[in-house]
Amino acid sequence: MECVFGLVGDGFAILVADTSAVHSILVHKSNEDKIMVLDSHKLIAASGEPGDRVQFTEFIQKNVSLYQFRNGIPLTTAAAANFTRGELATALRKSPYMVNILLAGYDKETGPSLYYIDYIATLHKVDKASFGYGSYFSLSMMDRHFHSGMSVEEAVDLVDKCILEIRSRLVVAPPNFVIKIVDKDGAREYAWRESVKDTPVSSA
Amino acid sequence: MPILLLPSTNFKFFPPKLKCVDMKLDTSGLESTSPFFGSGDELCPELSAAPSFSLPLSTDFDEFQKDTKATLKHAKGTTTLAFIFKEGVMVAADSRASMGGYISSQSVKKIIEINPYMLGTMAGGAADCQFWHRNLGIKCRLHELANKRRISVTGASKLLANILYSYRGMGLSVGTMIAGWDETGPGLYYVDSEGGRLKGTRFSVGSGSPYAYGVLDSGYKFDMSVEEAAELARRAIYHATFRDAASGGVASVYYVGPNGWKKLSGDDVGELHYHYYPVTPSTVEQEMAEVAGA
Amino acid sequence: MTKQHPAWSPYDNNGGTCVAIAGADYCVTAADTRMSTGYSILSRDYSKIIKLADKCVMASSGFQADVKALQKLLAARHLIYQHQHNKQMSCPAMGQLLSNTLYYKRFFPYYSFNVLGGLDNEGKGCVYTYDAVGSYERVGYSSQGSGSTLIMPFLDNQLKSPSPLLLPAQDAVTPLSEAEAVDLVKTCFASATERDIYTGDKLEIVVLNKDGIHREYMELRKD
Repeated sequence: MECVFGLVGDGFAILVADTSAVHSILVHKSNEDKIMVLDSHKLIAASGEPGDRVQFTEFIQKNVSLYQFRNGIPLTTAAAANFTRGELATALRKSPYMVNILLAGYDKETGPSLYYIDYIATLHKVDKASFGYGSYFSLSMMDRHFHSGMSVEEAVDLVDKCILEIRSRLVVAPPNFVIKIVDKDGAREYAWRESVKDTPVSSA
Repeated sequence: MPILLLPSTNFKFFPPKLKCVDMKLDTSGLESTSPFFGSGDELCPELSAAPSFSLPLSTDFDEFQKDTKATLKHAKGTTTLAFIFKEGVMVAADSRASMGGYISSQSVKKIIEINPYMLGTMAGGAADCQFWHRNLGIKCRLHELANKRRISVTGASKLLANILYSYRGMGLSVGTMIAGWDETGPGLYYVDSEGGRLKGTRFSVGSGSPYAYGVLDSGYKFDMSVEEAAELARRAIYHATFRDAASGGVASVYYVGPNGWKKLSGDDVGELHYHYYPVTPSTVEQEMAEVAGA
Repeated sequence: MTKQHPAWSPYDNNGGTCVAIAGADYCVTAADTRMSTGYSILSRDYSKIIKLADKCVMASSGFQADVKALQKLLAARHLIYQHQHNKQMSCPAMGQLLSNTLYYKRFFPYYSFNVLGGLDNEGKGCVYTYDAVGSYERVGYSSQGSGSTLIMPFLDNQLKSPSPLLLPAQDAVTPLSEAEAVDLVKTCFASATERDIYTGDKLEIVVLNKDGIHREYMELRKD
């Protein structure tokens, strides 16, 4: 089942998501990238209903780039998070999007940041966060091992610890994970952690 | 015949006079249907305007949908599969439609020919799949006329996914794969009525899909000839129809290559069984002996 | 006032059975003329078959109020078509129109089960069979309605033609002559009447061929 988590380190933020597309008892795909590169310095990881997940994150992505085209400057991570929350809150009273979101970004002024936004439009600025069944394991792992000012190596080490714990303790553990990082040099894919290989196909 | 005793169905319903909740539905999915010519609109606008979906005047739409669904029992139960391999995409499906325990058809065309380069498969509600694939076919043709080039599989699947997403929560039931060949080569997408859309190399959809996956996954290689791939697809459908009671009829296999799709085979799975497992005359182990002196 | 009427339903089932058989150059469409609700018989002489175009008839069972609405809509659409194109709609075109018409009521369906019988552009018999929300298929023969589960297996047994999906394709024309097909229809209705309470009274048969259209009737059990 779904596992999405992330944390903030020294000058960077890291996001991790499982890559399984599940329908009842079937795994339709095990290389579905659930972390979208929102703009040059932002990442958005989403879990929830597959339709809503894709439609909503694409909607946010398109609006964030529209803002940049119109105004010539990008939204800050905080602004993007508040915009996302606002859209979720508006939709909540009409037809809610069933998506939980982790938004990570890097701004020149404020450095790296991570925002927790759930489907009922709760917004929190956090150092570490997690959604889905994986959160039961990754939250405590991060509580125990996280400290402020972690280096990339330490953070990736912690992420790997979390993945290992999920794989060994969660009944319905997903086989593969994707790790993405955002720092002063931008948002990018960092690594894949795969235990089942699917024929590689770049994500849509 | 138990289906006939209708009065027991429990509709939460207002007689239309009492209350009229005016629900308006997004019919943008239908815009491409060609407009009526001539302007006899004044006479009866309802007939000459492009048709749109009419909705029940019920306050509890969800409940109404649930009840109609139970009353009408749309055709369901399917095995469909598609996969990308070296030479292109292989698409296969069974042909059974059942309503509850009754087989309503053994000759359903579950592989829908959208255009010469693209196929769609149908699982879920037969009418929903048929109608929206027909609609997609129209949209693809219009795209071709407007842009002087064929639509990509990516584009076509997204067109369908967006339509289905706009109807989410209204009870549509569609599980489809869009397979085809475009400028980027072979393409395969899974699209469903919950709005999900996945790009992939190997999918199976329908009640028989777990069985089909079992055969497909164990026999799949990227480097296969068209013949090998067709045999794998046919075999996967056959084994699914063998185990899944809701699948059966004819196993159709289509291949999409650089020159468009081609139907490779259509085999009655009843006959396929004896082709795969011929009956060998078994030796009688012991002849029943006549009881002496009985 | 917004008083709830929990037991009220917009639907009823008036029963009835329809059959259509396509031949090489003819099409036989038939339906009984009983209309019931629950255990009551409302009418013993209610025609379920209407002529939609010169070479196209529709037989419908289910909820006759919805059927009537559907028939009127199709008739109106066909009238407009004739004004615009100055010709009769072909049977395959009517088949498609019926499918779309049914689907436009996808969220509040016509509770009607239809078979469309007619001749296609080459003069061959054609039968289209539908579900309530418009999924359709061209077949060699079909049965819809309350007695369909009794008649369909019998027709399969008598007429079973190779599936149109088979490849290499096999010839799928119903091997019967027109007179034999009419006889077969009479037999299966006589049998269905024995076991289905919603089928009976009278059988109406519409035969379409190159000479045009003609109707004939046969009495069925009235109990």
